[in-house]
Amino acid sequence: MDYARSDALAIKILIAGGFGVGKTTLVSAVSEIQPLSTEELLSDRGTRVDDTSGVEAKTTTTVALDFGRITLREGLWIYLFGTPGQDRFWFMWDELAIGALGAVVLADTRRLGDAFPAVDFFEQRHIPYMVAVNEFDGARRHDPNVIRRALAVPGHVPLMVCDARDRESAKEVLLALVRHAKDMSGVRA
Amino acid sequence: MAAEEDPDPGPLVRMFAVTGGRARAVGEAFDVIAVVTTIGMPYDQAGLSPEHLAALRVATRPTTVADIGTRLRLPLNITRVLLSDLRSEGLVSIDPPAATAGVLNERIYQEVLNGLRAL
Ligand SMILES: Nc1nc2c(ncn2[C@@H]2O[C@H](COP(=O)(O)OP(=O)(O)O)[C@@H](O)[C@H]2O)c(=O)[nH]1
Ligand SMILES: [Mg+2]
Repeated sequence: MDYARSDALAIKILIAGGFGVGKTTLVSAVSEIQPLSTEELLSDRGTRVDDTSGVEAKTTTTVALDFGRITLREGLWIYLFGTPGQDRFWFMWDELAIGALGAVVLADTRRLGDAFPAVDFFEQRHIPYMVAVNEFDGARRHDPNVIRRALAVPGHVPLMVCDARDRESAKEVLLALVRHAKDMSGVRA
Repeated sequence: MAAEEDPDPGPLVRMFAVTGGRARAVGEAFDVIAVVTTIGMPYDQAGLSPEHLAALRVATRPTTVADIGTRLRLPLNITRVLLSDLRSEGLVSIDPPAATAGVLNERIYQEVLNGLRAL
């Protein structure tokens, strides 16, 4: 048996945004795997597992983390992680953001403010990100430039409208992010 | 739903039993999409749990931590503990993802773009 070290490459993209904005929907639209959810045990953080009883029961909760995969070829995969937007889960973002190619911030025009924390997070950490406005049925169409100003997103950051349910639309979003990350990597190098 | 809480500790208690009650991986931290590859099989399988052995079987083909967790139906933290055990036994290698390893070059970006377009 040949135990050659792997030259397989895995690439991570985060899908962020407020509750109900369409993160799970977008991951499902492009992912090749079901089910899409894995769990983090929150007790991993800040609390110690009691060595004698072997368990840590009181503060244990699980949080569902959307997780999707796209195989581009044998040994080249994109992993999508839909990250919960609530403040108490930010520690998960910190860890997930390490080594991420970039992030998509999903926004809903009816609750634009929900996208602020995510935009802030990626701006501060200089992680390439883009804003995808999920156009829900019946939502009034907004001028992208107005949304850009409202979110204080710099001009070089891609901002586009999408339909998170639509595979082609979700693909366009990912393409825009990868193009942007590629450009940024040129700038950083 | 963005987050679901399960106040019932029952299943988690059982899962911690898989790791002997340990919640943390040993040694250098690794990413959820680090690529795990089996590089050896133990002479004596007695010291390893069925979950350890299952992880070794899955990783005979290079597999990410997240995918191993999915295959074993275990949460990521638990999966990490098991994999860190296997690493300290010298049975698996765990390689960082492309971006962390600094191998995300022009060629790979282009390959990703072409691959996405072709989906
Ligand atoms: N009409 C419409 N509904 C959507 C769209 N995207 C998501 N939804 C629905 O909105 C709800 C919340 O979406 P979900 O992906 O679970 O949001 P998450 O909390 O960000 O993961 C679900 O019932 C989706 O079916 C969209 O583009 N249009
Ligand atoms: Mg969700």
